Amino acid sequence: MIELREVSKTVMSGTEPLTILHPLTLQIPRGQFVAIVGPSGSGKSTLLGLVAGLDSPTTGHVIIDAVDITALGEDALAKLRGEKIGFVFQFFHLIPSLTAYENVIVPMEIAGIADAPARTDALLDEVGLRGRAHHYPSQLSGGEQQRVALARALANDPPIVLADEPTGNLDSHNGRHIMELLRTVHTRRGSTIVLVTHDAELAAMADARLVLRDGRVVENTVGAARVAVHSEMRSRA
Amino acid sequence: MRFVLRMAARETRASWRRLLFFFVCIAVGVAAIVALRSVIQSARGVFGTEAKALIAADVVFSTSREWSDAARAAIDKRLTEAGATVRTETIETPTMVRPADGRAVARVAEVRAIQAEFPLYGALTLQGGQAFSHALVENHGLVVRPELLTALGVAVGDAIVIGQATFTIRAVLAKEPGRGMGGFSLGPRVLMDYADLPSTGLLGFGSRAGRQLLAKVPENQIDALVRATRQELRSEFANVRSYRSNEDQIGRDFDRAENYLSLVGLIIVILGGIAVSSVTRVFVLQKIRSIAVLKCVGARSAQIIAVYILQVVALGLVGSLLGVGIASAAVASIPYALASSSSLLAQAHYGVTASAAAQGVGIGVLVSLLFSVAPLLQVRFVKPSLLLREESVRGKRDWLGIAVLVAVAAGLVAITAWQAASLRVGLIVCAGFTGLAFVLTLAGRALVAVVAPLANSRSFPLRHAVLHLSRPGNQTRVILLAVGLGAFFIVGVRSLQATLLNEFSVQVSDESPDMFLLDIQRGQVDGVRAFLSDPAHGSGDFQLIPVMRARVTGVTGRQTTLESVEEVRRRGSLAREYTITYRDHLESNEHVREGRFWNGPAPEPEVSIERSIHERFNIDVGDLMRFDILGRVVEARVTSVRDVEWRESRNGGFMFVFRPGPFDQAPQTFVSPLKGPSDPASRARFQHDLVEKFPNVSVIDFREVLETVRDVMSKVTLAITVVGGLVLFSGALILIGAVAMTKFQRVYEAAVFKTLGANTRTIARMLLLEYGVLGALAGLVGSLGAIVLTWGVSRYALEIPWRIFPRENVGGVVLTAILVAAIGVLSSLDVLRNKPLSTLRAE
Repeated sequence: MIELREVSKTVMSGTEPLTILHPLTLQIPRGQFVAIVGPSGSGKSTLLGLVAGLDSPTTGHVIIDAVDITALGEDALAKLRGEKIGFVFQFFHLIPSLTAYENVIVPMEIAGIADAPARTDALLDEVGLRGRAHHYPSQLSGGEQQRVALARALANDPPIVLADEPTGNLDSHNGRHIMELLRTVHTRRGSTIVLVTHDAELAAMADARLVLRDGRVVENTVGAARVAVHSEMRSRA
Repeated sequence: MRFVLRMAARETRASWRRLLFFFVCIAVGVAAIVALRSVIQSARGVFGTEAKALIAADVVFSTSREWSDAARAAIDKRLTEAGATVRTETIETPTMVRPADGRAVARVAEVRAIQAEFPLYGALTLQGGQAFSHALVENHGLVVRPELLTALGVAVGDAIVIGQATFTIRAVLAKEPGRGMGGFSLGPRVLMDYADLPSTGLLGFGSRAGRQLLAKVPENQIDALVRATRQELRSEFANVRSYRSNEDQIGRDFDRAENYLSLVGLIIVILGGIAVSSVTRVFVLQKIRSIAVLKCVGARSAQIIAVYILQVVALGLVGSLLGVGIASAAVASIPYALASSSSLLAQAHYGVTASAAAQGVGIGVLVSLLFSVAPLLQVRFVKPSLLLREESVRGKRDWLGIAVLVAVAAGLVAITAWQAASLRVGLIVCAGFTGLAFVLTLAGRALVAVVAPLANSRSFPLRHAVLHLSRPGNQTRVILLAVGLGAFFIVGVRSLQATLLNEFSVQVSDESPDMFLLDIQRGQVDGVRAFLSDPAHGSGDFQLIPVMRARVTGVTGRQTTLESVEEVRRRGSLAREYTITYRDHLESNEHVREGRFWNGPAPEPEVSIERSIHERFNIDVGDLMRFDILGRVVEARVTSVRDVEWRESRNGGFMFVFRPGPFDQAPQTFVSPLKGPSDPASRARFQHDLVEKFPNVSVIDFREVLETVRDVMSKVTLAITVVGGLVLFSGALILIGAVAMTKFQRVYEAAVFKTLGANTRTIARMLLLEYGVLGALAGLVGSLGAIVLTWGVSRYALEIPWRIFPRENVGGVVLTAILVAAIGVLSSLDVLRNKPLSTLRAE
């Protein structure tokens, strides 16, 4: 369960403080597929970054599975991300000096998982890239890179997957492919998925919607919506 | 841990090419350290095994005078007590030798008169492998070095004249243990029988003969004997040493040589380290996204830092091992280089020693580590949020950063102190290097600021070339430092050489004296004067100056009071033997600083001292000084302090000048500075005729000395130039590395420029100008440093006039600019070649 209590974010724009996210309280039940939508600059990515602990809020608390992550240090946050959160970026952010296989295995190595090689093979299979395992990111197409990034996000089988405009940098065909994969992840694994997008069509695939404009919530169906039908498949906490 | 190891291996695989040059730089420094240490350790082995042969005895007593009865008695008594088994005596003296057939040549040689037992240890080796036997020198026979045969145009079997006696050359000397180890010698060795020496008449009063008494002593008695006789001969101006004290001395000399020389290698390694530091900073900047990604997927900062440190250490290790490889190759080639040498050094077995290799590798790895830690700490400030939006990483100084910097500085001092085997030297070298680096960096920054207005130039390539010098992530400072330091070494030593040679040439070429006669006896003064005044001999102005040899045995003064010879000895060079004179006037190169110079003779001894005696030993006007002048004790009051213009001191510069009167009838010899004939043939004839008439007189020819000096200096210059070359080479490597490091950025820029309409030539011109300006700045920094160096050395160390040598300085700047421009453009060739579209698409 992801819980936000009065979370806001203010940054300095030049010498002026600028509030990019106004205080927001929100609970995302386990297993829900949430889409955060809104125009550019509405605070979507900022909100996602706060949930992932990539960024710290100016006020308020972010609580993940009963742990207040706003109180955690950098290293504890890193550990939490490694175990609980998978992240997919708009610009893929693969490590260019590593092959597809290595990009996927790295989070497992950090977490010290024993059967990492077998799981890496399985994950690459899952995203349909077994044959491209030993290619470097520069040798892959955009769609392929994003599938590697998705496999990497799933490496430690995280209960939460956060995706920041994962199709924003792809053509519509590849974009659809990624969305299908995300849906599959949601249904098969029962992961909580938070998807940031400004594409209404993609947002419609989610269980619930949070619409932001200028850092404020203008529509919120999160929590009210039914939890994904397959949540009972999750055996983990 | 598995993650750290695997990740380090992957990162190394991806980036070793870009980092290669920096670690080759470390390899060069490590190679220098390992090779120097190995060679010196190998050479030292030879000296260790031949310690007894080096002094030809267990114990040697030596004196520069005739043995006094008291000294003789004391030595005899102690030797008997110690159970000495064999003893022998030798006398060494420099003198003139000439062929007996009357040809007009004469040479200074170093004669050693030996008895049948010499040497007590080791062996004299003759050319052609023939064994030396004392019978060869008996009855006016000689064994001489081959150089003398060449110089006089004589061969074995020919007769030559030494002093008043004629000798026959019986054999050629190939090797004499303990000689030719780089010590200064006046001329080639000539061995004669001890019994024949008196017949030459060279042992007359005032001769510069040195006498040695060599003995074999039971091993367990040696140290006690040396201690006891040293104590007893304290006031006798005699020296006692055993093969062991000699060995210790040589050992210390070797230690010092090894430790100090290898500092040069260390400086190159540190230069490599600075480059590593600079490149690591850029490396972290380039890796910022990867670092953020790793943090995003759960890696802690410490783990990421560990990955990169491991990578740097691995590359440092590979670089160091490469250095050991280079050193092995260099050391293995030494026997070939020394194949024809007769030196003792050719007998050593050269190879890289384990301790040298271990030190080299240790230093290479440690320096890589120390210099990369501080920039890697920036990893801590990389926030994963930058993956969501553009944000720059702001480097901060926190307590950990400061603590690491302090630890790194302490580590460097420790390494340097370890290498120099002295904390003091370690601190001095580190402080000096830091100071130099600081000055070079400041100078570099100032120069960059000076050329900054060119950024407004009308020329597009020049404008961008200058802008690039201060672009983000530029390597300007480190290139300026490395290349500037190399240029500094080379231009500095070349300028110094030019300064010195220039100075000597001036001294020899003008109308001033260029020959020096020694050992003229009182009875020969009139004869010599007549000879020199005779226009037939072709010599110019001359002076005849009376000289005596004296030692200071005590001082009673306002600031300094030295009661005994022992106390004088503690003042270092004050205890050496001085050549003194007396006269009633100041020479043209002297003036009085303090007190008054006398007028005419006086019955009471008075002395005028040179300024350095006054300053170094705090001896003032009014003080009483006690001298031992050939066994006679003379107490003289200091009545003046003189400044001597040493550059013009060919008429004799003396530390002590006495007032005439008490010395007029004292035993003394005369020296004569004179202007010799101008052409070499008449100079040779002049020397021959003079020596024929006055066989005991020695002639020093400054022109020949100049040749020797030129020769020695060009060897020293070559050696230092090689060192400077290595530093410059490291600078070039760093430059290539820096270009490789920032290449992707340049390729991109070039592509943008090309898209905007710049052609390849414009971009080539831009690169050429950028590196040309950088090289010129580095050359300028080095050249300015060299000017300061020559100024300081000329002014304070050599006390000769300072001047700038435009050829060395301007040449240095131009050559450095060309070198850097060429390397810069050549290593950027693919920047020029890349097609813009593919580059931009890849971005």
